Amino acid sequence: MKNIVTTLFACLLVAAPATLVAQSNDTEELKIAALEALISAPPERALPIVQRVLKSDDSDEIKERALFILSQIDLPEAQALLADTARTATGELQFEAIRMTGISGDTAAMAGLSAIYETGNMEVREAVLEAYLIADDSDAVYQIAADTEDPDEFEAAVETLGAMGATEQLRQLRDRTEMSEVLVEAYAIAGDVESLQTLAADASDPEVQLEAISALGMVGGPDVNTTLVEIYRNAASEDTREAALEGMMIAGHDEGVLQLFHESENPAQKRELLEMLVVMDSDAVWDLIDATLDEQQ
Amino acid sequence: MNEETLTLYYYDELDGAKRRAVEQALAGDPALARRYRVLSRRLDALAKVESHSAPSHVVARWHDVIDRAAAREAAAARQPRQSFHPGSFFWGSAVAASLAVGIAIGVYMTGGSIDPADTPPVANLQEPVPERGNAFSRGLLVHFQESRNQLNGLSPEANGERSELIMSIIQQNRLFARMAKQNDAQDLARVLRALEPVLVNLAAEDVTADEAARLQSQLAFELNIVLTKLSRQVSDDTDAIDI
Repeated sequence: MKNIVTTLFACLLVAAPATLVAQSNDTEELKIAALEALISAPPERALPIVQRVLKSDDSDEIKERALFILSQIDLPEAQALLADTARTATGELQFEAIRMTGISGDTAAMAGLSAIYETGNMEVREAVLEAYLIADDSDAVYQIAADTEDPDEFEAAVETLGAMGATEQLRQLRDRTEMSEVLVEAYAIAGDVESLQTLAADASDPEVQLEAISALGMVGGPDVNTTLVEIYRNAASEDTREAALEGMMIAGHDEGVLQLFHESENPAQKRELLEMLVVMDSDAVWDLIDATLDEQQ
Repeated sequence: MNEETLTLYYYDELDGAKRRAVEQALAGDPALARRYRVLSRRLDALAKVESHSAPSHVVARWHDVIDRAAAREAAAARQPRQSFHPGSFFWGSAVAASLAVGIAIGVYMTGGSIDPADTPPVANLQEPVPERGNAFSRGLLVHFQESRNQLNGLSPEANGERSELIMSIIQQNRLFARMAKQNDAQDLARVLRALEPVLVNLAAEDVTADEAARLQSQLAFELNIVLTKLSRQVSDDTDAIDI
């Protein structure tokens, strides 16, 4: 029964000449449904049908669906066809073939992406970075960031590394001081507390320092909480104090804010800390408000 | 012990052995127990639907972060291809994500959906969740099914509510991608990661109706394929193509 169904779907997909088939939405939808059903066919039967679809005059949408099926066929011939399509196709079809290469994760096909990146325009390069992200190939992305002198290309690669949580690779890029802001964002995305703490303690570039303090809150955790309280206590400027407080709010460290409230003897600071505790919905805030009001009566 | 495991423990979603392991670790590790208390408080707080007004300087900083992300998204939209910018997406969603992730996980883990009333039943698309297979695979099947149903029921108009729903799907998707990696299911992790850029493009409030329809069609196709294969895999059907 499965073979009959496969054969019927094959006929539907490729046997009927495109000129005889009205290119209506219904036909497209039927072909896509047929492609969807191919996933139930044995791989060796599905592959030739997908090959024919890719060579046909069908729309890009149908070919893109065929590429997804191809990425799920665990045969060397299927992966070779995917790599070939990623290299030779153009426009959206090429982008999809590159994305599918990332989904398949096939070693040989992935290796071919570096040549596609080298010769491709910015859109193709972004598609390759996305494929590396999908395949979790952080070394390949690091190599791109390390090799380039182009700020846009560097930023795209670093952002990808951040999204991948590639802490080690990002740390190796720390000497690119002209790109510190981009790196701070990536460290936060990757959850690299150590790098952020280093930058938060470095006053040589105040803007980067504030970015790093705020970004610490995004990462959170006990070490970050301690660091943020210390930064607040020792802050030399109002900006630094605000950045630390914001970090504590984002990290949900209401205990630290409460501690700072008790320590502070500055009414303006106390007011700001109390406001923050209200925002953070701290359990202690109502007792604190009671106590504060009592003191003032 | 990572945050995902503690979150699963909080929502009582770990099986017996893993749950006992977490309990032992919490009993013997004061630092971990403290981390868990902090996490529990956050998840408790997220369950309460209360709003407060943030101080103006904090709001200004949030707006600054969001404006930067929006500027990058706008720059991206001027390019012919809608591409994926992991960094800008992160910063654009970071504030919302830090508030919403617990809710998203909670909604999923408690077996609910974001808004069942907005997701009409889809004929012949509800595969039974097999009783066999491990908890991860079963959970993933439910995630794919719910994602597909939610996407099928999306409002045709791009708006904040629709974007919010897609963002919640993205958060769940990220959680499962991490879990797939931890479970050494690299093939599934790749598919989950590949869905995210498409979802991000669909979540954009300025996406055209035609483009949204195209993206929804793509997601429906890919989710159907993965569901078919995963259902078979969980059911130990040896005829399936290995994913």
